[in-house]
Amino acid sequence: MAGKAVRIYLGTRKGTYVAEGDEKRRKWKVRGPYHEGMDVYHVQPDPRHDGTVYAGVNSPWWGPALYRSRDHGKKWTEIAPPQMPVRAKRPPPSPDQDPRTTVRPIVNIWHIEPGPAREPSTVYVGVDPASLYRSTDSGSSWEPLDGLNKHETREKWNPGAGGLCLHSILVDARVPGRMYAGISAAGTFRSDDDGEHWRPMNQGVQVSFQPEKNPPFGQCVHKIALDAADPSTIYRQDHDGIHVTHDAMEHWTRVGKPLTSDFGFVVTSPATRPGTAYFAPLSGESRIMKDGQFQVYRWSEKTRKFATTVPSSKWAGSFGTHREGMASDTLDPPGIYLGSTTGDLFVSADDAKNWELVPFRFPSIHSVEVSVAPGRT
Amino acid sequence: MATVDLDGMLREYVPRRHLTSSAPTLGALLEELEEEFPRLRGKLRDETGSLRPFVRLFQNGEAVDRANWPEVRLGERDKVDVLHSIQGG
Repeated sequence: MAGKAVRIYLGTRKGTYVAEGDEKRRKWKVRGPYHEGMDVYHVQPDPRHDGTVYAGVNSPWWGPALYRSRDHGKKWTEIAPPQMPVRAKRPPPSPDQDPRTTVRPIVNIWHIEPGPAREPSTVYVGVDPASLYRSTDSGSSWEPLDGLNKHETREKWNPGAGGLCLHSILVDARVPGRMYAGISAAGTFRSDDDGEHWRPMNQGVQVSFQPEKNPPFGQCVHKIALDAADPSTIYRQDHDGIHVTHDAMEHWTRVGKPLTSDFGFVVTSPATRPGTAYFAPLSGESRIMKDGQFQVYRWSEKTRKFATTVPSSKWAGSFGTHREGMASDTLDPPGIYLGSTTGDLFVSADDAKNWELVPFRFPSIHSVEVSVAPGRT
Repeated sequence: MATVDLDGMLREYVPRRHLTSSAPTLGALLEELEEEFPRLRGKLRDETGSLRPFVRLFQNGEAVDRANWPEVRLGERDKVDVLHSIQGG
């Protein structure tokens, strides 16, 4: 039987790294950094084209940039990034203008999302200031999705600590035309017509940081993940707790309250484990793991309960995670992967029953994504 | 023609450090450079036309006002330096 090549793509504070292994997911060979020294917020393999990988590379000197690789991240080519629509002769904005109503340049590229299999050249990108772009030519050109970018509620959106960023894009390949976006701190939105029109979808997610506790938008969503089997079930890690919806975001239920803290940034739901999602909650104040212990919780839709997956004394340490910092692969049992703000990469090859630490000290990890393909690395 | 010196950080985008130009203004000069070296587009200024925060233009050794740089006129004997500040610990 032919083997499988498993690649972990890491976006870090100082560049892009790739860890390569096989389906056993025990030994990893690390290469990189690529984009050395740059702030790489997201590195995303395209499951529709084996070997194609995109990277969102941010730099205070050069601005945001997009790169594409066709060989599993060995060689990278800079491709055109999306741009804010600005009139050709528009004067530069004055520093005195209100930043909420002034067209500002793209500050950072936050998330890259391949489109559905039926649209093999479609790619989406989310940026700060919160905007969504679509490419239908594999990233060579971009169009803004103004149904969201110029949404009637936009003037009331406020930035979170990381800026006004569009950091989550989910394309539901099972329901044609349906997609979701998450913005800090505007909340989650849904489109049912391929991104033409958008509706805020936050009912049931309370807001702790403003006077109105149940607004239709303005929530500080941190990350969302689709369930592998039920297209209406979505898992949400929000500033204000862990939530689940079973009706495509029409209503949310907070399920994280039994945890000592359900603040956090990451969530992943493995493709081969429907009804399961993983979270790594942090202290809401310090934004490091509670009690100085690495811990990942498994949420089960069947039991409606959380379970710990890491023995309590396995790894002590004070670290956090960034919102793209957890991923799962498509194998069975699924691999679960978590990168820390202190550059540690934790891997479980057996659905979080056992965890190992990859013996490599990375820079602070922003993002973790995994590809699985036939063959060897 | 004005002479233009680019700092070493730009080597990835422009193969030569020393150029000449007959562009009438600094704005026209940057447009000319971006036309000749497309990878430079977006690196010195963003899509609103503002210079990136760490980019500074000098005309004959004098720093150019960041707000009005596109309209600054260039003469035949002018020398333009495009510099990045390197900072941080």
